[in-house]
Amino acid sequence: MTTTTSGPEALLSHLHSADGSATFSYAGYTIIGAVNGPIEAQRRDEIPEEAVVDVVVRPAAGVGGTRERHLEALLQSTLRQIILVTNFPRALIQITLQVTVAPENEYVNTKVVQANTNLPMLPALIQTAVLALMSAAIPLTATLTSVVIAATTEDGSNRDIINPTAREIEKSRSLHVFAFTSHGDLILTQSEGEFTMKEWEDILASAQQQCCPNTSGDVNMGDDAATGADLGTFTRSVMEAKIASDLYWK
Amino acid sequence: MPREAEPSQNEKDFILKAVREGHRLDGRALDQFRQLDLKFGDQYGIADVTLGKTRILTKVTAEVTVPYTDRPFDGIFTITTELSPMASPAFEVNRPTETEVLLSRLLEKTVRRSNALDTESLCLVAGQKCWSIRVDLHVLSHDGNLIDASCLAVVAALRHFRKPDTSMEGDTLTVYTPAEREPVPLSWLHSPFCITFSFFGTISIGEDGEEKDIWLLDTTLLEEQLRVSSCTISMNKHGEICQVAKPGGAPVEAVTVLQCSSLALQKVKDLSDFVDQKLAEDSKHRNKGGLLAELSAENAR
Amino acid sequence: MFLRVICSPQLPASSSQIGRKNLIWVESNGGRYIPAVGDLVIGTVHHSAADFFYVTLSDYTSNATLPQLAFEMASKKNRPQLHSGDLVYARVSLANRHMDPELECVSPSTGKAEGLGPLSEGMLYSISLGMARRLLMRKSAEEGKVVVLDELGSAGLAFETAVGRNGKMWVNSKDMKTVLVVGRAVTETDEKSLAVEQQKKLVRKLVKEMA
Repeated sequence: MTTTTSGPEALLSHLHSADGSATFSYAGYTIIGAVNGPIEAQRRDEIPEEAVVDVVVRPAAGVGGTRERHLEALLQSTLRQIILVTNFPRALIQITLQVTVAPENEYVNTKVVQANTNLPMLPALIQTAVLALMSAAIPLTATLTSVVIAATTEDGSNRDIINPTAREIEKSRSLHVFAFTSHGDLILTQSEGEFTMKEWEDILASAQQQCCPNTSGDVNMGDDAATGADLGTFTRSVMEAKIASDLYWK
Repeated sequence: MPREAEPSQNEKDFILKAVREGHRLDGRALDQFRQLDLKFGDQYGIADVTLGKTRILTKVTAEVTVPYTDRPFDGIFTITTELSPMASPAFEVNRPTETEVLLSRLLEKTVRRSNALDTESLCLVAGQKCWSIRVDLHVLSHDGNLIDASCLAVVAALRHFRKPDTSMEGDTLTVYTPAEREPVPLSWLHSPFCITFSFFGTISIGEDGEEKDIWLLDTTLLEEQLRVSSCTISMNKHGEICQVAKPGGAPVEAVTVLQCSSLALQKVKDLSDFVDQKLAEDSKHRNKGGLLAELSAENAR
Repeated sequence: MFLRVICSPQLPASSSQIGRKNLIWVESNGGRYIPAVGDLVIGTVHHSAADFFYVTLSDYTSNATLPQLAFEMASKKNRPQLHSGDLVYARVSLANRHMDPELECVSPSTGKAEGLGPLSEGMLYSISLGMARRLLMRKSAEEGKVVVLDELGSAGLAFETAVGRNGKMWVNSKDMKTVLVVGRAVTETDEKSLAVEQQKKLVRKLVKEMA
């Protein structure tokens, strides 16, 4: 049931008890994010000079396991670089990400314990977290855009698929996730599978073109550009709409 | 240490005074529910319930597993409730609060122990293979009356759910993927709902000093923090009571409990009709132009 | 040159807090209240110690301190008696990121309360930070486009309000129904983002229901 054709959608500040919240759906995933903070950190966790960033990832079904802990660790180290943590010493910024819909593979009966890969969910989690942080008005140095790319071999020729479906991932040789800041800097890269350095560099280039089309040097707006939405522009327009609705009375 | 905010004395005094005079902050009647909404997901077995500012999401999953050795003819049915920091920073991961424990016990008694789901129908090969049905309940936003909303969400999700079709040929069990055969609904026996009454002490009515309990339905979080006791009645639309729970607090007259249960029946009928209607709308929406019936007929061959 | 845009619930007096120039703070409606010097806030007394009251400004944050002598005419022998759960209207006198905020209920220059102090009776409502900011504007009807309070007043209701920058509004009146109507009018205006005309309509509806 996976469709990558529909564009990203987001809803901001819709949960009333959290300081900030966002629901983001794209490429078959729907994730609800909530941010609370800055709040009082537990004495044993607090850092004297900066805020503690706590990320909780919860799967739609089943309790979280190592797969969620891995994603949490990746998200935590990425997000704390864009949050102005030194602004809130000894405080806690708590980010909860609840996966509600993940793409299902129609040809395999799903198990509750999913042993497959963690990475495809990462871009959607990052995007949701950034939107929820903005909804909570947490000061950020930059926003992030992220993409997942699968390297596949079809009939002897190599092809890179942006936002691959569950079935395409299964058949791929390697899988790569990249995240870029709104300034065009690479902030996160995760890869798994078999690939050469040359292949990785090619994939990085196409990821860069996907995530930050305005900052990358060689613009190739040909066939590849149509495969995914421009998430940077999307984040910007979601935020514009949010500010406009907040200031409706002006 | 994150702590739950305690309402101020001014709020306590005002709300109690208002409730005694029959008023609520949001202008509702004392026995009126907030705006209720129920949405189903694109996949089977996802129900999203919104009750005022309370929002609950449930997801049902099924997998084939080995039955418990002491119950070889029964399938496995579990309901998991875990309150995440999303609902309130007071909820910590892996450290259940009292709210959470009470909620999961009540759901257990209402849905599981009342045999709403026929667990024998989940058995595939006696003592060897059975379905394990798992309900995950996520509280996205907590503004009171978690119990009633959660129970509705669990029931709606289970009734919406379809498990993969199976067949037995000789000794071989085949589980069909959704692409091969249209999944089938669970064997559902009855739909229980919870109605929670929150008590706020007594007022005297008439001149003979007769005392009357004051209670509210569908309380907000603030009202819940101020109540002196609560009572949850679970029943189905036929008026069959599954359980009555009154976890501590101030005592309540027996007559009041009887009155509450007859009102609960009326409310349960409303909720039951609401869920039926939403399920019918959803299946109509899915089965556009009778395509689904055609497909399943083709698959059965 | 890039401008760094930072979203924050409030515009600080000076943007030097981060120590960088070319920086814009964008106003937004939501988020958590972060104390800033000079803000008027409504807090709940959590507990009191020898010289201070500990006051909660928002949930799950550390308490602000309110010296027991920071009240009008307070002295060692004559100081206000506040108990746990009491509401207090105060001004933030000290706020920095490394310390817990400090409050005062007296103007340090005049020694007068100027409307600050304990709030007795009435009801406390939670509103969005944006709504609190609008209500605290000098001309909340013209600049903030909130006319509900004026409309309710001209409809003949007698009530008093206090608005805290931390997203709290206190309403009191002799008549309980008036408090309920004022509370509903403001919270509905806030939650449903009502324009001026809609606010007037809402007030007419509520006043009619009340009568």
